[in-house]
Amino acid sequence: MKAPIISLQGVHKYYGDCEPRLHVLKGIDLDVAEGEYVSITGTSGSGKSTLLNLLGCLDNTSNGAYLLNGRDVSLYSDDELSKIRNEDIGFIFQSFNLIPQLTVFENVQVPLLYGARSIAATTDLCHEVIDSVGLSDRSEHRPTQLSGGECQRVAIARALINDPVLLLADEPTGNLDSTTGEEVLALIDDLHQQGRSVVMITHDPEVANRSQRRVDLRDGIIVEEGAA
Amino acid sequence: MISQKHLELVRMGLRSLVGYPMRTVLTMLGVVFGVGSVIAMLALGAGAERELLKEIGRLGIQNIIINSIKPEVQDTSNQRSNWISSYGITFKDHRQIVDTIPGIEKALPVHVSKKTVWQGSKRVEGTLYAVTPEHLDMFQLNTSVGRNLTHLDDEKLSRVCVVRSGMLKELGIYQDPIGFGLNIDKETFYIVGVLKDDSFLGYARKALSVDAKSSEIYVPYSSALRRHGTRSITRRSGSSEATDVELNQVVISVTDLDQVLVTARMLGSLLERNHPEKDYELVVPLEVLSQRQKTQQVFNIALVAIASISLLVGGIGIANIMLATVTERTKEIGVRRALGARRRHIIAQFLTETTTISTIGGGVGVLVGIGLVQVLTFFTGWSAAITLSSVALSLSISMAVGIVSGIYPARRAAGLDPISALRHE
Repeated sequence: MKAPIISLQGVHKYYGDCEPRLHVLKGIDLDVAEGEYVSITGTSGSGKSTLLNLLGCLDNTSNGAYLLNGRDVSLYSDDELSKIRNEDIGFIFQSFNLIPQLTVFENVQVPLLYGARSIAATTDLCHEVIDSVGLSDRSEHRPTQLSGGECQRVAIARALINDPVLLLADEPTGNLDSTTGEEVLALIDDLHQQGRSVVMITHDPEVANRSQRRVDLRDGIIVEEGAA
Repeated sequence: MISQKHLELVRMGLRSLVGYPMRTVLTMLGVVFGVGSVIAMLALGAGAERELLKEIGRLGIQNIIINSIKPEVQDTSNQRSNWISSYGITFKDHRQIVDTIPGIEKALPVHVSKKTVWQGSKRVEGTLYAVTPEHLDMFQLNTSVGRNLTHLDDEKLSRVCVVRSGMLKELGIYQDPIGFGLNIDKETFYIVGVLKDDSFLGYARKALSVDAKSSEIYVPYSSALRRHGTRSITRRSGSSEATDVELNQVVISVTDLDQVLVTARMLGSLLERNHPEKDYELVVPLEVLSQRQKTQQVFNIALVAIASISLLVGGIGIANIMLATVTERTKEIGVRRALGARRRHIIAQFLTETTTISTIGGGVGVLVGIGLVQVLTFFTGWSAAITLSSVALSLSISMAVGIVSGIYPARRAAGLDPISALRHE
């Protein structure tokens, strides 16, 4: 078996400083192998958003280790986590989260602004990535001029620009109708086929069924884990 | 490489400013008017200073002027017995100054007397200035018509004079004035030249005891003294007053500029010895100039301080709008943070935006200031000078205002928790 890209070991997450603290994640153990496509399901309040924040390095664990690509990031500083988010994680959000005043091309460029590579050297790369999601004729448009499905494809292009080790999708079809949702899911399937590791959070069982493995979360613990 | 990335950040910062043009313009407005008023104030200050230089500089900063003045305390009993009041600088003083004070290039005597001037049946009150030819050169009294007084006029005791053009009008001389004879105290002086009409201004006029009516008549020193003497009688509504002033004025030119103040002190002690009663004044343009410049500087600082208040208000305006923007753009900040922006990137982004606003505002403010100065000078006739240094100063201040006013909003933005910022709607 390949070395896991994600390894959560006894992860706890509390919120609040004073007792009784809100205990959201109660000992999560989870491994995701390289190239694997995992979906995390659960009702609201099950802790899946918290888990997503931890996996996306937006937050630190309260207890336990989080190994991303072999590095324990649970004790990383804010700047170090920013670097990890920039280089190793590609976010796909439910509400796309494109920056409205920037063009498609510039939105895809945003992660590059915070990385080490020069902007000039990556112009071709941006065009390539935009092309790969089928939006090359839209690269000078604003997000408000695009449909929801197109916006999500721009977001996926943005997530891919730094060639991350992990794609992290949070209800990627939640704001889309079924047809465009299907297109976006097909695109994610393609990316998985190309060997990308994908973790997707969803409440929709049908969407979850497309993944290789389902992890069901309830009240902060994994209650069910198995092939979809 | 870093600079190129920074340019990209600036470009994206500009994008969000262009995205909300109305808000950007309104945010800028405070700085625009702040800088505009600073520019205008500095320009007016510089103009006043230039005017001052022109005014006092015309006296010649290498010169020292001694004026005879009527002593303030008059002994009435003495006046009754001796009806001629006699005071002021004497020929003896003049001789002593020339003989004993070192470093003097020239010491030009001037005798001034009020005279009634007749031309045909026209009558004008004039002031007769008996001066040496150098006097006219020293104060740049150039003729526009005819010639100036010469040494030959002085030697030959010629009855010639140089007048102001204003006097010609009063006398009703509208044709070529050269050769016209003016009757002054039973003597006829013939006009040989008319002075250019740039009279002395403000302080210079006072220091040279020239009145505002520009009714000066310049005659050769020796001619006037030989013909009229030093006594002068002024009739005023029945009573008459006679004065005997040997010299009304001595203009001293010092060879070395560094020695002006020393020479002035020596002159002061010489005159103090000769005149127990203080019936003279010592005018040192150099001293007056530096005093006036100091006053002007204080005034300038006060003006700019007042103008800076509007700049401060402009800065507060930017900070205020930027704070509102931070709230409005919380989501964007969260997205950027999720995509790998560090805190300092967010700070840099907001500082870039505020600095861009304030610098462009400063640039526009400079133009507004220049316009304001044009309008002010047009309507008030004040003198103004826009200096390069004032433009550079205002631009750098406005840049600094942008940075300072951006710090708090930028830190607020950078301090947002990325998770809650992302969830913000």
